[in-house]
Amino acid sequence: MEICNSYSSSSVDSTNPSPSEYSVNLSLSLTFPSTSPQRARKQDWPPIKPRLRDTLKGRRRLLQRDYDTCLFVKVYMEGVPIGRKLDLSTFSGYESLLENLSHMFNTSIICGNHRDRKHHVLTYQDTDGDWMMVGDIPWEMFLETVRRLKITKPERC
Amino acid sequence: MDLRLPSKVLEHIFSFVDSNEDRNSVSLVCKSWFETERLTRKRVFVRNCYAVTPAAVARRFPGMRSLTLKGKPHFADYNLVPDGWGGYAWPWIEAMAEKSPSLEELRLKRMVVTDECLEKIAASFKDFKVLVLTSCEGFSTDGLAAIAVACRNLTELELRECIVEDLGGDWLSYFPETLTSLVSLDFSCLDSEVKLSDLERLVSRSPNLKSLKLNRAVSLHALGSLLCLAPQLVELGTGSFSDKLDQEAVSKLAQVFTELKELKSLSGLWDVLPEYIPLLYSVCPGLTSLNLSYATVQMPDLVELLSRCSNLQKLWVMDLIEDKGLEVVASSCKELRELRVFPSGADVDETNVALTEQGLVYVSEACPNLESVLYFCAQFTNAALVTIAKNRPNLKCFRLCVIEPFASDHETHQPLDEGFKAIVESCKDLQRLSVSGLLTDKAFEHIGRHGKKLKMLSIAFAGDSDLMLHHLLSGCESLNKLEIRDCPFGDTALLENAAKLETMRSLWMSSCGVSFGACKLLSEKMPKLNVEVIDEHSPETRPDSSPVEKIYIYRTVAGPRMDMPEFVWTKHKNPEIGVSHLAIE
Repeated sequence: MEICNSYSSSSVDSTNPSPSEYSVNLSLSLTFPSTSPQRARKQDWPPIKPRLRDTLKGRRRLLQRDYDTCLFVKVYMEGVPIGRKLDLSTFSGYESLLENLSHMFNTSIICGNHRDRKHHVLTYQDTDGDWMMVGDIPWEMFLETVRRLKITKPERC
Repeated sequence: MDLRLPSKVLEHIFSFVDSNEDRNSVSLVCKSWFETERLTRKRVFVRNCYAVTPAAVARRFPGMRSLTLKGKPHFADYNLVPDGWGGYAWPWIEAMAEKSPSLEELRLKRMVVTDECLEKIAASFKDFKVLVLTSCEGFSTDGLAAIAVACRNLTELELRECIVEDLGGDWLSYFPETLTSLVSLDFSCLDSEVKLSDLERLVSRSPNLKSLKLNRAVSLHALGSLLCLAPQLVELGTGSFSDKLDQEAVSKLAQVFTELKELKSLSGLWDVLPEYIPLLYSVCPGLTSLNLSYATVQMPDLVELLSRCSNLQKLWVMDLIEDKGLEVVASSCKELRELRVFPSGADVDETNVALTEQGLVYVSEACPNLESVLYFCAQFTNAALVTIAKNRPNLKCFRLCVIEPFASDHETHQPLDEGFKAIVESCKDLQRLSVSGLLTDKAFEHIGRHGKKLKMLSIAFAGDSDLMLHHLLSGCESLNKLEIRDCPFGDTALLENAAKLETMRSLWMSSCGVSFGACKLLSEKMPKLNVEVIDEHSPETRPDSSPVEKIYIYRTVAGPRMDMPEFVWTKHKNPEIGVSHLAIE
């Protein structure tokens, strides 16, 4: 019986499980799920349905943050002197943040690369004091470095 | 003398034949029985949407009132089937719209359903009553609005764990004031808030409403007013159970729960706060089904709840219940038939260690009617499996997921071969089995030999060699669906047992050692099978010896399907080119 040793598929990592007397045929480099970066990204083990997996991940995120941490930041729209305050911890990600801000300020706001004349762009000031475009870094990281938000006119960016 | 029974008499007799298995047998007797049966069949089940064409089904059963379809293979539930693989509902809906406009019920599982599909249903079937979508995707809330506005006689609209593009809660407002026939509504998988006043009005004009499953966005406060309007509910899925209510509101809510005299099934309970658990006590004794898989109820609150559920038949709970909690279930819930224990952590390293094999042993000892088990656990022992097998020979479905792959018996460090042997030997009516933990080929020899009634088998990270697959395919007389991932067998067993595959509905294998050449060979040998090679990362050219990522093989009378994406190869595509690169959208 020919075993295929030329396992060139990129989705399989060669992390081997711990050996035992009754060990599995290791020449096929079976992947131990959570240690393989590709597998971890793929989220197919343990075999639970997507909805449950999302709920559990969301719950873990919630528990990891201090229950009492709110993330209130000031939000200004360019040209409007009075700002608003927003609790960023209530949003699940950039999309819900943008949606909410668009409602709040009654205009369409986008972030990142798709700039044009019509839409305002969301920017933020980080812990270094620099003004940056919102959307470049992962949401969780963003929450850690954001200090205040500004909705700028399209031409400014 | 013509000894044939007149068709009118046959029709009358067949009207008593309900199950489709029986009807299938009836249709094989002779031509006239086939004819009469097909003209009188009202409920059609197609368990693999690619096994037969929509046109053929529509032609054969012109009197069809109810159609149930399944699309993607089961492992699609765990993200193993790439997006765009298939399972489209459209061709079916189109065909039925043309040939069976009297269709009243559509139940789809693991299929891609678009807004166009829903609009077509709304426009084509004048007497449409039931739409149940389970694990489906591809549609938005706009499609729901189309159903709501057009289906005047709608009785059931259920979205079970679907992935829906949520454009807002307006869709609910499209149910016309004239719709009073609703019996079941389940929108628990949606995220957006629906307008409470519209929901209240809908509920109050639906006197036949028996099942209502709300989504998380429906507040506890809103739940109170809804339940006042529908005390006749038999099934309730609450929304979020965590608003801070004042004392008056709490006592009102408690009162409302005591009015639910018919309630048999309870689910939802998202984020339930411990102080609200006592609100549920009044309904507990009547409950036959309790789904706590989204409720973060911990011990000891779980015990308080479950010890009151003496009539419980079905319990779905998280591993937060721990062995202690299952001990209480064992002593309180003597009518238990089905137990599912889900992991409370999404990853392997987050498993709750206070839930062990002992919990399941308690329940198996004390609950005589237990026949269906799904159990996620960090580790297991052969001794426990042997005990469970001895206690519960009446098990029909046993799915054990030892979360750590290749985990041996944590006491003896042996593989779990002996344990699963005991299960298949003792449980003679076992129809569904999922195995896990460290398993050698021997385990599969036992399963092959003793699993006579086994219809569905799921395997992950197990076995040593081709023998494993060979044992299964040459044994397991009733095998219908086999799904395997990450097991080290290769071509030999598959090719030697090719004939078996025609007696089965489907075989799924992913991350195993099957080569492209073997797939081609199998395709040639077995023209009645569709052999699909699914490979998202394939190279431009495929040598025959290269292993394939995933294979899905199923019997079909429909021939090759026309809707394959680029990353699926079958022999009908040019074998020289092989699988082309996945076109990233």
